[in-house]
Amino acid sequence: MIAHQLTLVRRELWEHRSIWVTPVAIGVVVSLLVMAMLVFASGFAKELDVAIFGAQNLAGEEQRSIALIMHFLGTSWIFLIALAILTVFYCLDSLYAERKDKSILFWRSLPVTDAETVLSKLLTAVFVIPLITCAGIFVTHLVNLVVTSIWVSTKGGSAGTLIWSSLPIIDIWLFTFIVVISSAIWMSPFVGWFLLVSAWTKRMPLLVAFMPIIVIPLLEWIVFRTRFFASAVGERGDNLPIFHIGDIEMLFEGDEWLRNIPDVQLLDLIDIGKFMAHPETWIGIIVCGLLTTAAIYVRRFRDES
Amino acid sequence: MTSLVTARGVSKHFGQVRAVDNVSFEIEKGRILGLIGPNGAGKTTLLKALLGLTDCDGDLSVLGLDPFRQRKKLMQNICFIADVAVLPRWIKVSQLLDYVEGVHPNFSRKRAEGFLAHTKVQSGAKVRELSKGMVTQLHLSIIMAIDAKLLVLDEPTLGLDILFRKEFYANLLNDYFDEERTILVTTHQVEEIENLLTDIMFINDGKILLDSSMDTLTETYIELMASGENAVKAKGLGPIAESEIFGKSVMLFEGVSREHLQELGELRIPSVADLFVAKIKEARK
Repeated sequence: MIAHQLTLVRRELWEHRSIWVTPVAIGVVVSLLVMAMLVFASGFAKELDVAIFGAQNLAGEEQRSIALIMHFLGTSWIFLIALAILTVFYCLDSLYAERKDKSILFWRSLPVTDAETVLSKLLTAVFVIPLITCAGIFVTHLVNLVVTSIWVSTKGGSAGTLIWSSLPIIDIWLFTFIVVISSAIWMSPFVGWFLLVSAWTKRMPLLVAFMPIIVIPLLEWIVFRTRFFASAVGERGDNLPIFHIGDIEMLFEGDEWLRNIPDVQLLDLIDIGKFMAHPETWIGIIVCGLLTTAAIYVRRFRDES
Repeated sequence: MTSLVTARGVSKHFGQVRAVDNVSFEIEKGRILGLIGPNGAGKTTLLKALLGLTDCDGDLSVLGLDPFRQRKKLMQNICFIADVAVLPRWIKVSQLLDYVEGVHPNFSRKRAEGFLAHTKVQSGAKVRELSKGMVTQLHLSIIMAIDAKLLVLDEPTLGLDILFRKEFYANLLNDYFDEERTILVTTHQVEEIENLLTDIMFINDGKILLDSSMDTLTETYIELMASGENAVKAKGLGPIAESEIFGKSVMLFEGVSREHLQELGELRIPSVADLFVAKIKEARK
């Protein structure tokens, strides 16, 4: 059963090479940018930490640590944006392309149920793509750490004290991992919706998928003067209920906030228990389940002739 | 029980259209059955019902299973090639073998690779880089490496040139078929396969016009070539079809004794194609 699913998921990675090509490409670009930044910045100033992290003057250990953390989380952010776009396109293509090129007749000639097939696509979207993205982030971090360390060493500084001891890299990785996986679960109703559209639409899956998200709130407002749908969709896009602070954007807004917390403990910012206990987390999982079931149903009962 | 497929009153409607209309038949083990019918006759719908790709009314049992509800179990013992080139174009040959090996308990990779070794298909090539003939060879190699009880071929050689078509059926007969296996094939090119069929079924407008073994067929249907008075006499015996060739009448008889006809002219075994045309015309009257 598990070996079976593994084969199906491998198949997804063969077909959608962008799942791993994209993180690799971003990793390469980010690493090159960091190298360029090191060379560029060191032309202006001689102080090592300034050379490493741009023009901001860093006073003291604490601020260097914060700057390092921000730098590494910022790197992760680029991956996460790509992850979101990648997942949308992957889901919309996953059950549509096979119908368009009629290869669905081949896939269905093998002893694999429609449920197993659709499940493999759900697993790929909610776990495999996020895990590969995490791997991409970690490798890029490591490359950047090594490059920066070498740079600092060649400038006569101690990479150990200046970088490694100031940077809680394991915390950053754990933090990234938990946020990425919980975001994927949190966003899973959208994955379910995209899978359903992909299984069902005759053409233009992208348009069909996004049209209701725009049209339904409009109609709701015109007819009922309410905003339930818009706020339900909007809030899901906005608030991941895993952070102790209200909004993850605050992490990046402001010196004010950073200064108020003298000792940044990244993992203290998140609370898995809160996420798991949040009713909307479970509502999302149920909605995802229902939409995925609908996608299975459509694939099974639709006659392609 | 040697019956592999049993259909009792099977129907499939699309709105008002009856694609398959109350058909009943059996397919026995170790046979090669040709399913022949014009476009839109309901062949593909019937095959889809057999393969569990579409639901239908009536009782349909394939290998003792309900095809629609037990599709996964069924597919472990059935293989099929559909009428369109359906192998995904993005996949590599080696990946395709990996995949089938991963999901199919009755697939022998070694056998498939053995078959492929006789072709020009390279394991590193992608399907989109292969010619249509090579794609069919690849598909057939995979299918033949699956130890299945029933093989369903829906226009398997469509769009292939004559060399590939001949080779396709030769491979099927020599390397695959034995008394444990059963093949169900539909094709427009009846003349190419009529020699290898053991049974034949005509279908038109969702109904079965003829369901017979080839042996019975040659006994039941006789073609007579006659001229002059004999032709007039023969006409009196009620041929199901007649035409003129080189000034002679060619008539097709159903169930008229051979001795009776022998005196009237030259007897021949009718081709499946001629028989098919006659049956369709008869049904449309």
